[in-house]
Amino acid sequence: MSAMSEVFVSESRELVQQATDDLIALEREGFTVDRVDRIFRAFHTLKGSAGLVSLPAMGVMMHAAEELIAALRAELLDATPAIIDQALACLDVMSRWIDAFEVDGALPPDADAEGRVTTERLRALLAGQAGQSETRENQAGFSGDQPVPAWVAQLIEAEQAQIADRLRLIPGALFAISYEPNADCYFNGDDPIDLMRRVPDLLACHIEARAPWPATADLDPYRCNLRLRGISAAPRDALRAIFQFVSDQTHIVEIPAVALRPGEGAKAQDAETAVMVRALVEEQRRILAVPHGGGEDLIGRINAAGRAGTNVLRHALRPELASRVEDGRSAATAEGNVAPLVRVLDEVLAALTPPAAGSSDGLAPSAGARASGTETGARLLRVEEAKVDALFNLASELIVVKNSIAHLVTRAAAEDDPSDLVRMFRRAQESVERVAGDIHGAILQLRMVPVAQVFRSFPRLVRDMAQTLHKKVRLVTGGDATECDKTIVDRLSEPLLHLVRNALDHGIEEPAQRRDAGKPEAGTITVQASRTGDRFILEVSDDGRGIDPVVVRQKAQERHLLAEEALSALSDDQVVDLIFSAGFSTKAEISEISGRGVGMDVVRTAIERVGGRVSVTSRVGEGTRVRLDLPMTIAMSHIMVVEVGGQVFGLPMDAVSETVRLAPDRISRIKNNDGFVLRDRVVPICSLAELMNMPPAPPPAGVRLFVVTEGSGGPAALEIDAIRDRIEVVLKPMQGLLTNASGYAGTTLLGDGSVLLVLDLKEIVP
Amino acid sequence: MVLAGVCPVEDAEPLLQLLQAAPAASVDWSGCSRLHTAVFQVILAVRPPLTGPCGDPFVARWGR
Repeated sequence: MSAMSEVFVSESRELVQQATDDLIALEREGFTVDRVDRIFRAFHTLKGSAGLVSLPAMGVMMHAAEELIAALRAELLDATPAIIDQALACLDVMSRWIDAFEVDGALPPDADAEGRVTTERLRALLAGQAGQSETRENQAGFSGDQPVPAWVAQLIEAEQAQIADRLRLIPGALFAISYEPNADCYFNGDDPIDLMRRVPDLLACHIEARAPWPATADLDPYRCNLRLRGISAAPRDALRAIFQFVSDQTHIVEIPAVALRPGEGAKAQDAETAVMVRALVEEQRRILAVPHGGGEDLIGRINAAGRAGTNVLRHALRPELASRVEDGRSAATAEGNVAPLVRVLDEVLAALTPPAAGSSDGLAPSAGARASGTETGARLLRVEEAKVDALFNLASELIVVKNSIAHLVTRAAAEDDPSDLVRMFRRAQESVERVAGDIHGAILQLRMVPVAQVFRSFPRLVRDMAQTLHKKVRLVTGGDATECDKTIVDRLSEPLLHLVRNALDHGIEEPAQRRDAGKPEAGTITVQASRTGDRFILEVSDDGRGIDPVVVRQKAQERHLLAEEALSALSDDQVVDLIFSAGFSTKAEISEISGRGVGMDVVRTAIERVGGRVSVTSRVGEGTRVRLDLPMTIAMSHIMVVEVGGQVFGLPMDAVSETVRLAPDRISRIKNNDGFVLRDRVVPICSLAELMNMPPAPPPAGVRLFVVTEGSGGPAALEIDAIRDRIEVVLKPMQGLLTNASGYAGTTLLGDGSVLLVLDLKEIVP
Repeated sequence: MVLAGVCPVEDAEPLLQLLQAAPAASVDWSGCSRLHTAVFQVILAVRPPLTGPCGDPFVARWGR
């Protein structure tokens, strides 16, 4: 890809993100000149760059968007949710196109069509708003390029099946009617519903209030507050005749054919429908290929396959394909041969565009997918110059030390005084250690990225989800600039996303419920990042309904997660932690919003895998807070090297609470295990040898050595023979055949070149 | 409350008054054959509990 294209890709992505953030801020916090200006400039620049890299479809679409924003800027239009939605949708399309351009150097094949639809919608908003104050019915018919007002699109979506059926039977023009009777129309003897009643071929009709209804006590029964809208297949003249005496209150619009296909709003559903349709058509094809018994059996099969195919294609609003299958079916039954139908089905399969590689959840694809760069392009890291300079200096120091060692080698070869040499070698060793440590630290610094990049997609996500769920939610993020190792930040984004979705779906109540509870209608979700010591803390909290310990206990009981006594022994605070147990949420409950098949147990596992911990606190009716406690870096680990049963293992220091030396009389038999009492707690002894499947050895007669570790079920002690060393190493995760072997945290190389196996105590200790 | 036969515009006010007096009263509109818009509007605004599909076929089909 040329340098210009690369710049285009990275700058355009920035602009899209910035415009998205500003649009959401515009909606949430209101109109400010600065904000709209910034949005306008973003769209304007995007339009221009599209021209530079010769992407006309992109240019045209951005031009329409730019004009819409210009109207906002000039305060000719108000930033309604519909406009914000459409502007964001346009940015989504742009985002996808940038991704495609990065990989293929071109826009996707359907870009022209998609661009045109988006452009039409943008222009419709420009015109549609103006159209609401129009009093003339629209004289000119619409050709395919002209805009469709938003209300028409909504009506079409609501009654799609009806409309599709009708079009299949008698294709022809459809008209949308919008009738807003004057408030005093009843005094003129008008009966608006009666007029709609007379409309022939009415395919869709909605009757709704124009303004919010006053309280029942204040309602004026003779003041008309209705808006009637419909779609009809009757000819325009017939419609005009019906509404001729109220033409100043009516608007009749022809619907262009392109608007009758499913809209962007049904996009996610589309992907699934497309997959299903394709699968069903393929299945009919397969059925026809099975050897048949001829005669009636054959005709029956042809008819069945043909009808199934036709129905599926009608459902998918592809009437033209449906009628071809219908024709294929009649031809096949007439000939007594499957061939004509098979041919048509093959053509249909070719005509069905392959399902879009959409997101695996029901949300808009671009919202979450961009958190860590493209899939196929090289992963890029943005780095401050100062950090690179620091690294350069360290590299220079390394050269100096390297030279001094070369010098020492010469001296050693010349058999100089050994004690002198030892001293100088020691000095060189210290230098190398220092420089190596510094270089390592500097590179770790390079890898430190602000956690803000994970947060970037959240405002959009929360907005879209809140809309879908009909909830009012506001997102507050804090500590965006807090830095953490890149790998950890990358692994954080999925779990964090899940927690936010959870808070939105299960935590925040509907506005009516919140009002009843005396809470502000808009719920708040807070994502806060901070640092304490060498830990990176992330908290996701909401002011929603909280987690009810009673419900958790009940579920835990139903799912047999814990024995009864164990369950009743847990306090309310402890019980809430059970939401992280595997098997706590059934698939049936994990709604489409929260993500398919991802329970809180997956969140915990993911966080623990990077060396973190998850905990939750909650108050019923007040809210929930999930706390992620993570290491700042995953690079260096403190390891205790121990000897057990003649073998050497590493134990992660942060899994070890303490080491104790006990005389044999301190050890007693408690229930079925050996154990001891340590500061008022009973600590059972686990034999590491047994856990590791090594031959058991009799316990030593004298003082025994234990490593105490804190497990989920309480403390446990591991008996060891000796502690060899405490080292700081880079832990390499298990690889190859051993990747899934449980019980190992990783390996490292010791100074003498041997491999040390480091144990994962959490997986070993029962 | 029962709406029967043709309900002309004049029915709107008495209907509203009855509903204001007894907001929880249910309205049986299965027996009416034709509703004037004003009557429909009162029902749409007040949203009393309703018995039966509306006898007026247009309202039954398109009135929410």
